[in-house]
Amino acid sequence: MLKNYITVAFRNLMKHKGFSFINVLGLSIGLTCCMLISLYIYHEYSYDSYHAKGERLYQLGAVFNNEGELEHRATVPSALAVALQQEFPEIEESARLLSLFRDDKTLLQYQESGENVKSFYESKGYVADPSLFKLLAYNFIEGDPATALQNPNTVVVTEEIAEKLFGEESALNKTIRISSNTNGDGDYTITGVFRPHNVPSHIDARFLLSPRGGGLENFFLNSTTLLNNNMFFTYFLLKEGSDAQQLEKKLPAFVERHMGEELKNRGSDRQLFLTNIEDIHLASEIEGNVTPAGSLTYIRILASIAVLTLLIACINFMNLSTSRSSKRSREVGVRKVLGAERSFLIWQFLGESLIMALVAFIFAIVLAVVFLPVFEQLSGRDIILSFQQHGFLLGVYFLLAIITGFIAGSYPAFYLSSFKPVQVLKGRFSSSLSVVSLRKGLVIFQFVISVVLIIASVIISNQMSYLRSKDLGFIKDQQIVIPLRSETAKSSYASLKAQLNSHTSIRSVGGSLNYPGISNPTDWLMYKEGSSAQNAESVVITHVDDSFLQTLGLKAVAGRLFSPDFPADTNNHIILNEKGVAEFGFPSAEEAVGSWVAFDWEGEQYRFDIVGVVNDFHFKDLRVPIQPFGFLLVNAPIYNYLIAHVNQGNMGQTLQVIEERWNALNPNEPFEYSFLDQDFQKNYEAESRLAGMIRYFTIIAILISCLGLFGLATFSAEQRIKEIGIRKVLGASVSSLVALLSKDFLKLVVVSVVLASPIAWYIMHEWLQTFAYRVDISWQVFALTTFLAVMIALVTVSFQAIKAALTNPVKNLRTE
Amino acid sequence: MIKITNLVKVYRTEEMQTTALNQLNLEVKEGEFVAVMGPSGCGKSTLLNILGLLDDPDSGSFLFNGIEVANFNERQRSSLRKQHIGFVFQSFNLIDELSVFENVELPLIYLGVKESERRKRVEEVLDKMQIMHRQKHFPQQLSGGQQQRVAVARAVVNKPHLILADEPTGNLDSSNGNEVMELLTDLNEQGTTIVMVTHSEHDARYSHRIVRMLDGQTVLTDIMV
Ligand SMILES: Nc1ncnc2c1ncn2[C@@H]1O[C@H](COP(=O)(O)OP(=O)(O)O)[C@@H](O)[C@H]1O
Ligand SMILES: [Mg+2]
Repeated sequence: MLKNYITVAFRNLMKHKGFSFINVLGLSIGLTCCMLISLYIYHEYSYDSYHAKGERLYQLGAVFNNEGELEHRATVPSALAVALQQEFPEIEESARLLSLFRDDKTLLQYQESGENVKSFYESKGYVADPSLFKLLAYNFIEGDPATALQNPNTVVVTEEIAEKLFGEESALNKTIRISSNTNGDGDYTITGVFRPHNVPSHIDARFLLSPRGGGLENFFLNSTTLLNNNMFFTYFLLKEGSDAQQLEKKLPAFVERHMGEELKNRGSDRQLFLTNIEDIHLASEIEGNVTPAGSLTYIRILASIAVLTLLIACINFMNLSTSRSSKRSREVGVRKVLGAERSFLIWQFLGESLIMALVAFIFAIVLAVVFLPVFEQLSGRDIILSFQQHGFLLGVYFLLAIITGFIAGSYPAFYLSSFKPVQVLKGRFSSSLSVVSLRKGLVIFQFVISVVLIIASVIISNQMSYLRSKDLGFIKDQQIVIPLRSETAKSSYASLKAQLNSHTSIRSVGGSLNYPGISNPTDWLMYKEGSSAQNAESVVITHVDDSFLQTLGLKAVAGRLFSPDFPADTNNHIILNEKGVAEFGFPSAEEAVGSWVAFDWEGEQYRFDIVGVVNDFHFKDLRVPIQPFGFLLVNAPIYNYLIAHVNQGNMGQTLQVIEERWNALNPNEPFEYSFLDQDFQKNYEAESRLAGMIRYFTIIAILISCLGLFGLATFSAEQRIKEIGIRKVLGASVSSLVALLSKDFLKLVVVSVVLASPIAWYIMHEWLQTFAYRVDISWQVFALTTFLAVMIALVTVSFQAIKAALTNPVKNLRTE
Repeated sequence: MIKITNLVKVYRTEEMQTTALNQLNLEVKEGEFVAVMGPSGCGKSTLLNILGLLDDPDSGSFLFNGIEVANFNERQRSSLRKQHIGFVFQSFNLIDELSVFENVELPLIYLGVKESERRKRVEEVLDKMQIMHRQKHFPQQLSGGQQQRVAVARAVVNKPHLILADEPTGNLDSSNGNEVMELLTDLNEQGTTIVMVTHSEHDARYSHRIVRMLDGQTVLTDIMV
């Protein structure tokens, strides 16, 4: 019986090659999408699933009340770990982790035998409690996790860094120099080398420094505040059998006991919460975690896309099967006459779709392997899986293929097997109205999906190009950013600036602690002259040199900029932006100049005279509105960045000049640079990934839908071949015949556009809300999409229509 | 074997009602070879469909081997059909995707006969119909006469007691047609009851008895000698 099912199914597939090709291709592509996307989702859910004590590992988080807006953050004061562990016996052990923040780049140097210094920059550096290796599973290949980082000035590095530094030699107990913007410069002994796991972790550390010995020691180990310096990631290992939820319930009382009074004075509040380590990666409501959280929204979007593309392919199968039903009805009739029961026929048709799905499954595996690298690039994730995981996933995909075969095959199977032999054998067969309308409905459904995706792609790419091109209020092009990592580099700033300024292709050079587009951690609560701390405004602050504002091309709206002519501006003078002036409530920029703003610290007032007001500009990306901003002048060599505004023209040559000057001044540090506009654009990486993915999947969805449409058009042209012949003999023109054959399909596409537009509008409207600055959704988008969709459908359908209309009518009529 | 009394079959479409069989009475005895004749549209095929349990009547009685089957459900009819009845059609109705062997094998598959037994029986029948050498071929590679022989082979492979043939020679030239009629006669001589619809007086002469129909009723019965 089974053999019969299979041979019959195979013969049918081979006999109708066009039909099989369309279905197998569509299903293969749909399955490939599902496989790749599920790999991504699997990856996202596998974060930190490898810790032996994972069930008992929790990260401490805090809820900040930001003027009524609740903000979940992963960073807390360092003293909290100690205080909580002392008070709650449920906590067996704790460990703190501090990211070397700023821009996350640290200089590593190793003095080889002789003069030769091996040096390179590393990112992803952290300061960590020695206990971290007791809590989290680290795979040490050298050194002892139990003692590493216990001594001052010790460091644990990845296998890769060890190899970069020492090649084949053992790294253990060697001393390297580490220069960090955050932790200062110092010599460190390597006490451990680890190999990262094959499973991703939310902690992406490449090297971990002991708290003792570094510039952050005091801050890390001796700070007692339970409310300020919120920059430590804190992990707890709970005792076996203790319940995290129970512990969490006790935390409000703890906050009240230890911080209640101070919080009341501030008119603020604070909550603490725990997150299991395995949930951290996808806890996207928590801001500022060790690595950016994965987005559940993103996962949902991708999962829907995967399901929808597969559904589109299934619909192709259903539609092509039912539209072929008049051809197969006779077979059904004969089989029934010969005694086939309906269940047998249902299985027979299901068998065909299952075989089709299995063939597609094999193709899809191949396609998935081929396109995995492309997909990894698109999604920005390297997907690493163990052998067992591969086996497991293969099983899951096989099941997916079977389910797909069932979904695609069930409706045609039930429909086809319901034919009454008496009727179909008489040749009285005609598709019932409900089947035809269902078919139309399914085509519309496919095109609604495609059209929504087209509209989404267009709007997303509009927004992306808006983000790229919007005037940010400063000059973002032709700006070279050179990071100054070490004390040496920082102290060479003045000479480097002087030398670069003398070069003709360099217009202007400035120095600062931060620049637009990267995170700026400093903000002060300030109030204006005549007001008090109760009415303070949050002002983002950065320190700059006397030419930074000019280099960025910021304009003084009132007053003046910092400049070499006013060295005394270092003396508590401030330049605000227009937004700041407005928020403070100054009547005008002119009137703000000459007044002052201040903050209070431990009962004392610190006052800053306003010497100028600059135009509003985007220090942060366009998701967030412009905030009050203040520049302070500093003349000491503490700048983290040198920014050079260069002339248009030979960038390569200019960079070469800068590199020469750099090497002369900092022989032991590699020259490194970036472009300001690109750095700014990096903020939209998630969006541009989404844009890229949606673009690809839109094309795929359209492709599969069009395959189906093509199949239906082919079929309908075949069925109407006699009608076309007669019309042609009676004098119909080719164009009128093409119109006749294409019209019905185009109607469906137009209906799809009408249905899809409001859906797409709603979804994209929601998405655009995540940007403070955004494009309008214009009617042109919909007009363009309609045009596109109709053109695509027309090309697909008319190919068959033209072919049918061009054939010699005599040939068609004679065959009857 | 068959006893039909006051059988009524009405086709209803949106626009009209057609009374295909109108109070029809008919009896067919075990081992008989009956030819049904009449003008186009008089209800011959409808009668055959009901006899073959492909369709159910609106009223009247239909005794098959003494059992009332007029109101059998689909499943009961199907099971009775695959055990006792074979069909031969004017347009052969072979399945194009299956080879000669597989077409003939089909009724046995639906009967649940074991593979080895199936092979034996199919080969036996093909041999008898002299199309053994064509068993691997597909219907479209055969002439009309060969196709109809395959169809007859398929109709008899499950050794039915009753064969229903609806214009079995309608699509064949006279020599091929005669061959098929010989086949049917042979089968009948071996004990199979046959009811055949035909337009050809020549073919009807192979039968024992001709039933003439008009407007859904039997009007005359000629006994052949
Ligand atoms: N499925 C059907 N629906 C409606 N009318 C039908 C159907 N089948 C047959 N008829 C009508 O019933 C009558 C008898 O048909 P049929 O038994 O096929 O005649 P014959 O085989 O004698 O030519 C005809 O008038 C025919 O049009
Ligand atoms: Mg007829």
